[in-house]
Amino acid sequence: MNIYFEKIRIINPYQEIDAQFDLWIKNGRIMHLSPDSAKTDEDTRIVNAESLVCSPGLFDMHVHFREPGFEHKETTLTGAESAANGGFTGVVCMPNTEPAIDNVPVCEYIANRAKGNLVDVFIAGAITMGRKGERISPMLELLESGVVYFTDDGTCITKSEVMRRAFDYAATKDILLAQHCEEHSLTDNFAMDESALSYKLGLKGYPTVAEEIIVSRDIRLAEYCGNRRIHFSHVSSAGSVELIRTAKSKGLRVSCEVTPHHFTLPNSLLDSYDPNLKMNPPLRSDQDINAAIEGLKDGTIDCIATDHAPHSLHEKEVEYEKAPYGVVGLETSLGLSLTYLYHKKVLSLREIIEKMSVNPRRLLQMDDIVFDIGSEANITIFGLDEEWLVNKSNFKSKSLNTPFVGMKLKGKPVFTFNNGLVHESEL
Amino acid sequence: MTNQSALSKPYLLEASDLTKEDVFRIFAQAQFYMDDYEKGKKYDDLKGLTVALAFFEPSTRTKLSFELAAKRLSADTFSFQASSSSLTKGESLIDTLRTIEAMGVHIYVVRHGNSGAAKFLQENTSGVVVNAGDGKHEHPTQAILDAFTIYRHFSKFEGLRVTIIGDILHSRVARSNIIMLKTLGAEVRLCSPGTLLPRHKNIWEVEYIDNVDDAVEWSDVLLVLRLQHERMKSGIIPSVREFSKYYGVTLEHFSRKPEMILLHPGPVNYGIELEYEVSSYPNCLIETQVTHGVFTRMALLALLARKYK
Repeated sequence: MNIYFEKIRIINPYQEIDAQFDLWIKNGRIMHLSPDSAKTDEDTRIVNAESLVCSPGLFDMHVHFREPGFEHKETTLTGAESAANGGFTGVVCMPNTEPAIDNVPVCEYIANRAKGNLVDVFIAGAITMGRKGERISPMLELLESGVVYFTDDGTCITKSEVMRRAFDYAATKDILLAQHCEEHSLTDNFAMDESALSYKLGLKGYPTVAEEIIVSRDIRLAEYCGNRRIHFSHVSSAGSVELIRTAKSKGLRVSCEVTPHHFTLPNSLLDSYDPNLKMNPPLRSDQDINAAIEGLKDGTIDCIATDHAPHSLHEKEVEYEKAPYGVVGLETSLGLSLTYLYHKKVLSLREIIEKMSVNPRRLLQMDDIVFDIGSEANITIFGLDEEWLVNKSNFKSKSLNTPFVGMKLKGKPVFTFNNGLVHESEL
Repeated sequence: MTNQSALSKPYLLEASDLTKEDVFRIFAQAQFYMDDYEKGKKYDDLKGLTVALAFFEPSTRTKLSFELAAKRLSADTFSFQASSSSLTKGESLIDTLRTIEAMGVHIYVVRHGNSGAAKFLQENTSGVVVNAGDGKHEHPTQAILDAFTIYRHFSKFEGLRVTIIGDILHSRVARSNIIMLKTLGAEVRLCSPGTLLPRHKNIWEVEYIDNVDDAVEWSDVLLVLRLQHERMKSGIIPSVREFSKYYGVTLEHFSRKPEMILLHPGPVNYGIELEYEVSSYPNCLIETQVTHGVFTRMALLALLARKYK
């Protein structure tokens, strides 16, 4: 599909652009980009784009596509469709598959499944074999077969000696390691944030200190091992944000992400015992939400990532305590970020684009996305003020476990261009 | 006869579902059955209605109590226990519910090992759910019978002092009792080892007493909780011996204050939370509680069943 956008606002932090242009994308490439209009052809659809924004393709560095092993929840294909529908052109899928992504054949299998898709599906490899937290994985070989960073996500590497080895081994290639911060001995079988409400509901609590203990340890270890790169996945507590802020001010190479559900939903919602509100880490207090917002504002938090974690209806439609952790997020991430961060004047549009595209791509040392005549389009087009109700029947994900159904959001993805393909969002 | 339930809510999932007026309505009805009851007598309150006793977790007392209550009201009842049901074959709770529902059930009395399970079932059925204990959340009918026992003894709640002693952290009985007794106007305090208390002390806006002697001195009522075997093994308390030494209630405590009454939800671990000799003390009302359990449950079921009349 060839599309000509009349008077679209183009924001590209890579090129320091924020201005209104006419943009023509033809056969997957930028054909025209100018304040002036161009003469189009018959094969081109013309879109009045005065209310639309064009940004470098959005990038989510933390998704679970469940393949191989859990294809009833999501596959590489449905996950990628969900990403494109949500405005993303690139994602990194997590290694908690079965078998885990700790060997080259599994990497190749996933890469093969992702081939020919609009969305670039990158792979995070496991830091330890089978994500058991014992022996480090063949990181060098995995790196060569395309892995973009390493994490045991879903599980924390609690043994300090193993984490130290990982830092030391990763050092030769300056590999990025990420940690799912959770001192498991404090959180075993948790059901929600430890809080007055968790006691009232009789649900096992996950105290924020269990996250902060690991954030603190890994900051110290990364520094000790020679200022290694460490990324903290889905931070959820005010204490973690503060630890990371301090570490950054000391010049340590730490980075972190926050999920949209953690900066929008408070733990007080749990009195519904709704399994779609159950995730790891759990929803936290208003104080933690405010700290996440502050961290996004002052740059402590680098990225917004969804932790898109699909589970089938039959797995979630059970007693709250028996439900698996996780919510899907790819199709609500942009809407939530625009509603809660842009329209509430927490972040500028440019800052949102940085946290949803530029920053994660830079952390993973990916090429800049440049808008030039002739360059391949890796572009997300979204409506800034359009109001819509989250309707899961419009989702492309194979799973629909989201607490946001029925919520009114302001701002939504419209088109996604990448790899010569285009997707018009059906949200 | 009215289509409305005689209670504020058409179900009972937690103690806060009941207002003070609701509780006294239940008391009045229970008192009526108690005064009126003769051997073998049946009432028509639940005639034509089917009560499912859905016990997904083992229970003896509560199940018998509900079963008797429902039968005395002429309900058709059927029951199943976790061990004999298809749940052990991997059937999901929601599927089990749909199956039972398809057979035509009006009232579900539910005991389940997971907190929130009663609410989950109520959200998925048009029937009436009565929570007979859900995980570590609540056990509201226990609180009703405890409150009834207190009320029958003292004829008031205002100014009455109740201390709940034992494993507060994991106790659904404690949760329901704290909320209900406060609703009724009693003063409640908690006494427990540090590892069996919630970290957030202000949840229920109650005071804490750090030893049993002070609790005895302060209280009109001691509600002693059962120490579950799970707790004894998990290392959350140093030893059963230490627990019983510092948090066990003895006859000596009562000899100091004979007017104080003792409640316990049962079954008692004699020699751990209660000295065996305490059972013969006249104000030890554990058996009275059991008797009251049947009448208060009859009252509750009858009031909830008015929805179907």
